[in-house]
Amino acid sequence: MIMKESMGPKPYMNPYLAGVILGLTLLASYMVLGAGLGASGGIARIAAYLEGGLAPSHVGSSEYFGAWGKEPLHYYLVYMFFGVFAGGLISAFLSRRLKFQVERGLKAPRQFRLVLALAGGVLAGFASRLAQGCTSGQALSGSAMLLSGSLVFLICVFAGGYAAAWFVRRQWHD
Amino acid sequence: MISTFFGLDALSSSAAMAAAFLIGLAFGFSLEQAGFGSSRRLAGIFYFRDMAVLKVMFTAVLVAMLGLQYASGLGLIKEDQLFFMPSIYGPQIVGGLIFGVGFVMGAWCPGTAAVGVASGRLDALVFLAGAGIGSVFFNELFGILKGLYTWGDRGVRFAWQDLGLSASGFGFLMVAAALFMFWGSEYLEKRRAVGGAYWRSPFLRSFSVVMILLALGLMAMEGRVAGDRPAGLQIRTSAMLAEIESAKDHMEPEELADRLMRGEPGLLAVDIRPAEEYAEFHIRGAVHMSMADLPEFLAGRENQGIIVLYSNGMTHPAQTRDALFRMGFTNVYILTDGLAGFLDRILKPASLRTELLSAEQTARINEWRSYFIGTEKPAQAEPEKPLAVSDPVPPAWPGLVEPAWLAENLGNREVRVIEVRAQAQYNSGHIPGSVCVSHDNFRGVVGGVSSMLQPSDLLAGHMSLMGIKPTDRVVIVPDDKPHDATLVAMALARLGHGRFGILNGGFPRWTLEKRPVTTELPKVEKSQYPVPSPDVFTKTYKEIMEVLKAADHVILDVRPTEYYTGEKVDEARGGHIPGAKSRPYTEDLSKYGKVTLLKPSEQLATAYASLVPNKQTTVIIHCRTGHQASQTFFVMRYLLGYERVLWYDAGWSEWAARSELPVEK
Repeated sequence: MIMKESMGPKPYMNPYLAGVILGLTLLASYMVLGAGLGASGGIARIAAYLEGGLAPSHVGSSEYFGAWGKEPLHYYLVYMFFGVFAGGLISAFLSRRLKFQVERGLKAPRQFRLVLALAGGVLAGFASRLAQGCTSGQALSGSAMLLSGSLVFLICVFAGGYAAAWFVRRQWHD
Repeated sequence: MISTFFGLDALSSSAAMAAAFLIGLAFGFSLEQAGFGSSRRLAGIFYFRDMAVLKVMFTAVLVAMLGLQYASGLGLIKEDQLFFMPSIYGPQIVGGLIFGVGFVMGAWCPGTAAVGVASGRLDALVFLAGAGIGSVFFNELFGILKGLYTWGDRGVRFAWQDLGLSASGFGFLMVAAALFMFWGSEYLEKRRAVGGAYWRSPFLRSFSVVMILLALGLMAMEGRVAGDRPAGLQIRTSAMLAEIESAKDHMEPEELADRLMRGEPGLLAVDIRPAEEYAEFHIRGAVHMSMADLPEFLAGRENQGIIVLYSNGMTHPAQTRDALFRMGFTNVYILTDGLAGFLDRILKPASLRTELLSAEQTARINEWRSYFIGTEKPAQAEPEKPLAVSDPVPPAWPGLVEPAWLAENLGNREVRVIEVRAQAQYNSGHIPGSVCVSHDNFRGVVGGVSSMLQPSDLLAGHMSLMGIKPTDRVVIVPDDKPHDATLVAMALARLGHGRFGILNGGFPRWTLEKRPVTTELPKVEKSQYPVPSPDVFTKTYKEIMEVLKAADHVILDVRPTEYYTGEKVDEARGGHIPGAKSRPYTEDLSKYGKVTLLKPSEQLATAYASLVPNKQTTVIIHCRTGHQASQTFFVMRYLLGYERVLWYDAGWSEWAARSELPVEK
């Protein structure tokens, strides 16, 4: 019994404690980099890099991606994004939570869940470019600075989320 | 004091990349530990089943917020070291709503999806691919989204500022709201039997108490520093507060009216109301600019000249001024009572005023009305008499040079023309054979004081490069600021150059008289200008102190009056040298449309005769940096023939900074 328990995933950390660690990380980011945390910026730059590989002249001449120059990956948020991945990997490994799966409700078809994940990703990726940040860069980092626009963004994220929650609830039905 | 990579402008250095990676490690680690490697847990908040997202996120916001405010309150970090994102309400509202929908559909957000992939979640990988595709969509659609992308751009705005609270006060409210949500979440989870492990737990109790104490401590600290100082991140520096307290950031309507009527150079009135309102009516001479475009429009005017903002009321100008102050502008003022006040105090007819008016006051009101409304006596607004075309009278060197004479002598190789206009304007058309140079090229740091006229060896070097010989007749051509030309005249005077003069009316008059211009570059052969011994008219503060002891002297302070009186201060101390008389250099100018002229010699002679007993009196002229004073020097020494005119080049910048020197207010 004891044996079995020690082999299963460890319980999650106390959320408030995890929040304190996350908050201190954000604070460190401000004190060292002078800017907050960010994730969508890294993704967008990787997307620009990949699209640039397919259509270099098109990306180079486009107004938004083009402004990032020939080396869109040379940016601190790209490195931070890889750090997030690595940090997540270390933590998941140490906590024995590494598991290949499509997370969904037991009654929800796999495809359904993946289509929603893709569509959600497209919307979130688009929206975070529009708003110049995602939950990390705007909602978390901007709110900690008490910036008006970031707090408005935070409120709108939850407003949008709660408004749409009912329509996509089936992916979690057990 | 902490220097950040952002503050050092080194965010793209390899060290910053490494730091970002390490911060990312901690970021990813804490997200995973919080359980955010699971989409099911993330989505839980939207179905009130697992409120971990709320707990983690708001705890992080509180910790970072308190940390930032403590760091700034304790002086560990200055706001210029931090990147503040602007508030752009349009895209933030629309983007926030779309993002929320994407968040609940995908059950990931960009950062957590990275952690999800690291935890082996295939749906996270799909989400990330989608986010990449969404970014590409955005890039492709950027052309049509541009309007929305910048719609409602208010620059850097703080919620506490918008709500009229102090940063720490707002922070306390944030803490209270978050704790309320934490306890609510625990209760909810408990009721629905899906969690709520911390409901009424000793842990959450102590955690709440610590958060509240930290927030209260911050308020106490801020209160101790500056009473009810409404700032946390040292956003409003004490300098700005002091200015606001003493209303030094205001300009009264009467003052603005008088200064606009004088056509004071460097004064810029900016109307920040909507364009339609500006089109309907605006203060004469004011330019229109939307608040969002102001920083770009004002770039390069930081602390140069005076910028006065106005709107209907005072709220918008005050907020704009604060924003500009944070960007480094210390020369922005707001019009007291806004346009409403201007209408009431300047434009209201004397007949409608309730207070008793003297004849003098009535005349002043009529003058304002005729200038700013222009209905009653339009003739007074601008001289009706057109500027006469100049005669080719030979100049009395040093002195003024008539355009007609210069036009006749353009081919003469011994007549050299120096234009002190902006390079771009020179490039698009200049007097044939002229060279272009900025008056500032002749200045530098001398004895630790900035903006001093360079020593004669350097000046001789400049003349050599321009191919000027001691025997040449040199004509200096300003744009609309004669004092730019007179500063170059000081350089020639220091070199003991005999024949130099200033084009009367400058380049604007040259074009008004349709004299020839060209875009061709002049042929210049380097000369060997000899280096003379030091001049006798430039005086140091020590020599000024000596002169002060002697009986027969007059000090003329040519700065704008409010600097003389100490109402306005841009230096270490305000006020003037004891015994100095005020004679703003602008008093010597008159304007005909775009042409700026020195007033006729007879007028100037009368004016100065009332200030200085006789032509043998020692006159010391100074301003802030020597620039404006050079014009008065030119007028008195060369046009009016005062014999003992001295120039205190270092001026008020030095005098004010040397605390041992006496100051009078």
